[in-house]
Amino acid sequence: MAGRGKGLLVPILVLALWEMLSRAGVLPIETLSRPTDVFAAGIAALFDGSLFVSTFQTLQAAFVGLCISIMLGVPVGLLIGISPTARLTAAPSFEAMRPVPPVALIPLSLLIFGFGVSMEAAVVGFACVWPIMIATTAAVGTVEGRLEEIARALEMTTFAYAKKIVLPATLGRIAVGVRVAVGIALVVAVTVEIVVNPRGLGYGMIIAQQSLRSDLMYAQLIWIGFVGWFVNGLLMRLDDTVLSRFNVAGAEQ
Amino acid sequence: MKRAVLALIFPLLLLGAWQLAASGSLLSPAYFPAPSRTFEALYQSIISGSLWSPLSATAVRMLEGWVLASLLGILLGSFIGSSRLGREFLQPSLEFLRPFPASAIIPAAIMLLGLSNQMAIFVIAFGSVWPVLLGTLHGFSAIEPRLKEVASTLEMRPIHYLFKMAIPSALPDIFTGIRISLAIALILAVVVEMQAAQPGLGQNILLAQRMFRSPELYAGIIVLGVFGLFANRSLNVIEMYFLNWKDQR
Amino acid sequence: MAAIVIRNVSLSFGQGPAARQILTDINLQVGSGEFVSIIGPSGCGKTTLLRLVGGLLPPSAGTIVCDGVEVQKPSRQRAIVFQDYGKALLPWRRVWSNVSLAFEAAGMEASQLKERAVDLLRIMQLEAVADHYPGQLSGGMQQRVQIARSLAQNPRIWLMDEPFGALDAITRQQLQDEVARIARERKITVIFITHDLEEAIYLGDRVVALGAHPGRILEEIEVGLPRPRDQLTTREDPLFLAHRHKLFGLLQEH
Repeated sequence: MAGRGKGLLVPILVLALWEMLSRAGVLPIETLSRPTDVFAAGIAALFDGSLFVSTFQTLQAAFVGLCISIMLGVPVGLLIGISPTARLTAAPSFEAMRPVPPVALIPLSLLIFGFGVSMEAAVVGFACVWPIMIATTAAVGTVEGRLEEIARALEMTTFAYAKKIVLPATLGRIAVGVRVAVGIALVVAVTVEIVVNPRGLGYGMIIAQQSLRSDLMYAQLIWIGFVGWFVNGLLMRLDDTVLSRFNVAGAEQ
Repeated sequence: MKRAVLALIFPLLLLGAWQLAASGSLLSPAYFPAPSRTFEALYQSIISGSLWSPLSATAVRMLEGWVLASLLGILLGSFIGSSRLGREFLQPSLEFLRPFPASAIIPAAIMLLGLSNQMAIFVIAFGSVWPVLLGTLHGFSAIEPRLKEVASTLEMRPIHYLFKMAIPSALPDIFTGIRISLAIALILAVVVEMQAAQPGLGQNILLAQRMFRSPELYAGIIVLGVFGLFANRSLNVIEMYFLNWKDQR
Repeated sequence: MAAIVIRNVSLSFGQGPAARQILTDINLQVGSGEFVSIIGPSGCGKTTLLRLVGGLLPPSAGTIVCDGVEVQKPSRQRAIVFQDYGKALLPWRRVWSNVSLAFEAAGMEASQLKERAVDLLRIMQLEAVADHYPGQLSGGMQQRVQIARSLAQNPRIWLMDEPFGALDAITRQQLQDEVARIARERKITVIFITHDLEEAIYLGDRVVALGAHPGRILEEIEVGLPRPRDQLTTREDPLFLAHRHKLFGLLQEH
């Protein structure tokens, strides 16, 4: 059996079994829709555009949040990585802030920004800034000491050193950190939408659940899975191109 | 000593500046209360005892879901990981589910189990099982083949092989999975409380927001952060005990 | 009665035109308590032959009989000492616990495990590191631990796959003498794989030379040197040198 075929066998069997049990009346149709109904609801949502709108809203908030976390995380990560003083001063405080679950900030973000994109992006930003900062700092640690000596010999300012030498050398590893952050961004965005924010895919599922449209809810659930898987796959391919451009040994997980 | 001073300068300066700005009405007290008010709210909740009930509710919920998920994950992961057939047929599906947002299961869970504590435990366990499952799976699939040959030469019974060779060999990967699981369990516990109005710290914070009581809001966040840190460190200690052979070089 | 009888054994992988013949028509008998060294160039299948005798894989043709019983799967009686000792030990168990693994598999009571394990460690001069982890030991000591564990199996047959290949010359000589002594004291039948010509002659009662592509027996030589052997004098013995010449020429041709 072909390699890819093997992986699909179990899901297909599970779906077929689900369908049969549902039609036989064994599974309650109000709460566990038939796969065929779910599929139909999904197609309908696709064609009437509602799925695209929700997907766009979720991705938008995730993207903005991700940008915020990159703009904050990379410079700070570089600074901490390059300057031991900065590390001793700031790192302990960051270590203290990191264990705060991002979702705990939802009410705070809601308080400050009210409903909408900003609030969601803020929570995403907080969640994603840590993996990016950590990846950046770790990447700086791998920069060869010789490059630093050269920079010192040329009397480069810390800023110039960071920009001209460290950043290009670490770009590959930072890209990996960004990939991890993207996964987190999507998860957090959907979570915020489920809990409070009335926009996006998460909110769509809540609406479906409250209107007792279980088929639509499951359709969106599966759609979210696909989006996550698709984005992840896209980034992995992007990572390969970035890494090959900068001549870094790939396969960084 | 110098390190401690440096480490404290940053947060103290920040808090000091915040305090001044708040007192001088530069920051809106509704959104950015003075740190003194936040710490007072925190202090009050500790001595009045009103902190412990929601904290323990959240902690217990998190632990129940996490322990369930870990046991299930290790069990399933070892079964699937030990069988080459199992890996070939199931691993692709499991890898597909890896980036899946665990919180997305909440609407479905509410539909199936209603707004109950069972639903909460189910959601927490469901979301936390994947890292453990995948970690165990990876650990089992990476067992040194030479060890299997040693086991067969010693005529070791399969059950002994499982407990004396397979699981210890996979333990580092299992612990990695458990650690990630713990973080997810805490997040889901808080989310579920906010979503399903279950008593706990998550609900407290949300209520504080609705009533515009920002010091309580910040205090709740701090408590969650401290608890998360404590849980993580505790797990580290346990991990160190089991994996102490790794540092002996 | 011979301890090991290898009759008409062949091994090949794959089917049709792409099939690779690893070993052909191996016929060998090893007497009880005999020490047989097997040498040959890389890829001649000597390790594979050892694994066949150990029962780790079945032959494509022929039979292997040990102590009157046909070999179909691994057995405690046929202890294997692998070349990659690092991978054959459990890094999360202390040294004595690695040795006691063999006892545990045989069902010994927990209360006796450490004591019996330390007894064996004493024989291998590892008593001092009984509570250490394998990762803290040198290569030579780790291999000693593996040998100790193999002894814990109370084997009648010792199968050793280039056990000293990764060790320095001095350690190798020490272990050669220890292994020879233990095998003689406990009357263990030994098949010893090596690509070190001198080691093969020094240790063996007989040396079997294998050729490559496909693996087959080129020649068997009765060593005939007196025991106990000595690192200095035995290696200077004219008979030793004669064997060395002959085998060297043999392996050169193939």
